[in-house]
Parts: sequence; structure tokens; C-alpha cells
Amino acid sequence: MKLDDAPVPNPVVVLREESDDWAILFNPDTSAAVGTNPVGVEIWKQADGTRSLRDIAATVARRFSNVPEGASGEVLSFADELARDGFFGVAEGAEG
Amino acid sequence: MRVIRTPRYVDVEITAACNQRCSYCYFFDNPEVPYHDLPLGEWLSFFEELGRCGVMRVTLQGGEPFMRGDLREVISGVVENRMRFAVLSNGTLIDDSMAAFIARTNRCDQVQVSVDGPCARIHDATRGRGSFDAAIAGLKRLQSHSIPVGVRVTISRHNVGHLEETARFLLEDLGLARFGTNSAGYIGTCRRHADELLLDPALHAEAMQALVRIAGRYPGRVLANAGPLADALTWRKMLDAAGCGAGTFDDGGRLTGCGCHFTTCAVRADGVIIPCVLLAHMEMGRINKDSLEAVWNNSPVLAELRSRSSIELKDFEYCRACLYSPYCTGSCPAMAYTQSRRVNAPSPDGCLRRFLDSGGRPEDIP
Repeated sequence: MKLDDAPVPNPVVVLREESDDWAILFNPDTSAAVGTNPVGVEIWKQADGTRSLRDIAATVARRFSNVPEGASGEVLSFADELARDGFFGVAEGAEG
Repeated sequence: MRVIRTPRYVDVEITAACNQRCSYCYFFDNPEVPYHDLPLGEWLSFFEELGRCGVMRVTLQGGEPFMRGDLREVISGVVENRMRFAVLSNGTLIDDSMAAFIARTNRCDQVQVSVDGPCARIHDATRGRGSFDAAIAGLKRLQSHSIPVGVRVTISRHNVGHLEETARFLLEDLGLARFGTNSAGYIGTCRRHADELLLDPALHAEAMQALVRIAGRYPGRVLANAGPLADALTWRKMLDAAGCGAGTFDDGGRLTGCGCHFTTCAVRADGVIIPCVLLAHMEMGRINKDSLEAVWNNSPVLAELRSRSSIELKDFEYCRACLYSPYCTGSCPAMAYTQSRRVNAPSPDGCLRRFLDSGGRPEDIP
């Protein structure tokens, strides 16, 4: 994925927020599961097919304290992981 | 240990009906349980709630799940609510059409079929005439549709002398990737047939030795969470640790033997929510009346079970002087209950000291 891509969540994927600091994204079609922290949950919730990863990274930087410079790279890396496992697609016609 | 907001897995006794009456069945002959079924609509509503809770897998069991004429609708309800499923079955009622349906869902983790021997004579001794042929036919139908098939072998006096042939039949003739083992326990219908079924120390030793040998021959393909194989692996470590005066195991010396109540709960066929299918008398609520999330987080029954790990074995008279208690986890709370009427107590099953006190020898443990 690229920072200008707008990821679209696979609608079958389940977000299990198991505690304040731990969640699981689970794809029942493949059994794939990804554990994540609140930042990952925020990325997942922001991804609606209209927001680019750049926008999502900016939102994450605003909402969480102590987000380092270059966090957009980590957002991109997380989105790549989710796309590889079928959790994310990219909105058709999205810039990028 | 912190409790997650909702269970990851739910075991559902989708029916109390069964076409067999196996002599070691844990499910039937529990005087504290009414045996009746709920209509489909109740289950479909409940599955919607499970979907909202983010439950990942439902295990359909019974009774015999394939006794339900509406099982396709039940499974569709699970699938439509974004969950996977498994089925525990005797295998005898699985026709090609049902196997094809399960395969098409693409959500089945496993159908587990009970197979207790390599031939009808041995298998049918505990499960009834004709059950072996029907079970193997059902199992092969599942395989023909590439559905993951698990097999559970329940070891009793009837099959303990035939474990080698059973393993060969399952792994070589049927080509299963693996199978699981357990042993008949003093619960349910088995209580009426204990003398006929339960292993004495000599037979327990025979089973341990055979299963360790078989597991060595088929690495990673013979599994056990309880029963003789699990006992052999655990007890050997305990003997070795005691022999060299090793310190307490991380999970030893306390009732840490079961962690299911941190991830899983169950529902009886009549819709009563329980902590585990083996603790069917511990009623916590009712589906579609009580919120599962509320039950999961607030039930005093679950709180009691979750507190087990803080209970020390030295608090129990039998364990106090036991050389092995620093390495012991107290085993299964359900088996503790069926034998002592106490959940928060160590189980006599899986107890190394009891095995040795009743005639077992350290050299019997491979």
C-alpha cells in the first residue's frame, strides 16, 4: 500500500476489543488473527475507504501522546500487514 | 489473570438428543440437568449476540448435533454472524449432502468423530452395535469433501489393549493427520459402568506405555489434554523434578490445572449458560434473557473458577505431605467435582500420588 491509498476494511473481519490495551482482528473466512494495541484499533476504525493512510496517520498522531516522528511509516507497515492477510483492500479510484 | 471482555469461544450443546447411548458418556445421566431442546429461533437470536460479542468460534455438540433436522440453519446462523465453527459428533448420521454443505461454508475448523477402536468389535463395545461402520462411513464422507476431521479415542478397559492397532488404523489406513486421546472418567453415564470401563493402575500404566511408544512412532500426531498420555508426559516431568529436588514449577503448587474459564463458556441444550459442558450443574444465566457479556464479567460462578489459581495445594490434606505438589496443577475442576462435589479442589484423576498409592510404580511411567 501507499500513504495515499484509502484502505477499506474487509466487512467480514471482526474487531475484538478484549481489554483497554489489547484487541484482536479476526478473519473468520481464513482464521487469520492479528493482535494489536489501541493505535492499531484506531487505524482499523479510521479506515473507511475515504481516508488515506496519510490522513489516518495524522489522526493517530493527534489522538495519542508520544507518537514519534515518522509514525506514518509504521501506519503504512501495519496496513501492509493487514492487506497481505486479507483484512484490508484499497478503495477503487483512490488516489495513489 | 485479567479477564477479557467477552469469551473467545462458546461450546453449544445444540441438542440433548442422541442416537447412541455410549456407556462412558459424560453428557447423559446427570441428575442435575434437564434434557430438552430449544427451537431454532432461540439459537439464531443467541448467535446474533455472539456475533456482537466478537466470539470467534462456536463448537456445536450434544447429544449428537446431527440429530437436529435444522442443523443447516443452525450452522448458517453461526456463519452469518462472522464466526467459525467445529462439531463434535459420533459420525454416524453424516450423509454426503451434509458433508457437502459443511464444506461449502468454508468456516469449519473441524468435525471431531469419536472412534474407539480399529474395528467394530472394539468400538461397538462401548458405543453400540453398528456404530463403528456408520462412524467410519461418516468420517470418510467428511474426508471426501476435504473437511478437517479430528478423531477422539476414549480409552477404557475395552480398547486399552488395542491402542497400537487403533493408531495404525487412524493414521495409516484412514490417513488422518492426528488424533486425540482421553480416557473414560467417573462422570455421567460412566458412573453406572465404572467397573466395566475405568482403568485400574495396571491398565493405566499399560495405556501410558503404549501411547508414549505410539507418540514416538508418529511424532506430533497423537495428542492429549488429559488421560493416560497427558498423565505420562506430566508425571514423568514431576518424577524427574522431585528426584533432583527441583524448585516449584511456574504453574505448580496451586490449582492452575484449567484455564478454560478465561476464554470459553458453554450453553446447555435448554439454553442455560454454564462455565463448561462438564460442569453442567453450575447455572449462570439463560440465553436471550441474560446478557452473555454481563454473565461473563459478573457471574460469581466464573469468579469462583477464576480464583482457583490462587488456591494452594498445601491447603488440602491429601496434598499437604505430597512430594509432588510443587509440580502439580490439581488437574480438571469438573473431574474434581464429580468425585468430591467440590470444584475448587484437586482432582483425583491425574493425581500422581494417588496412582502410586494405589499400586502404580514410578517405573510404570515412561
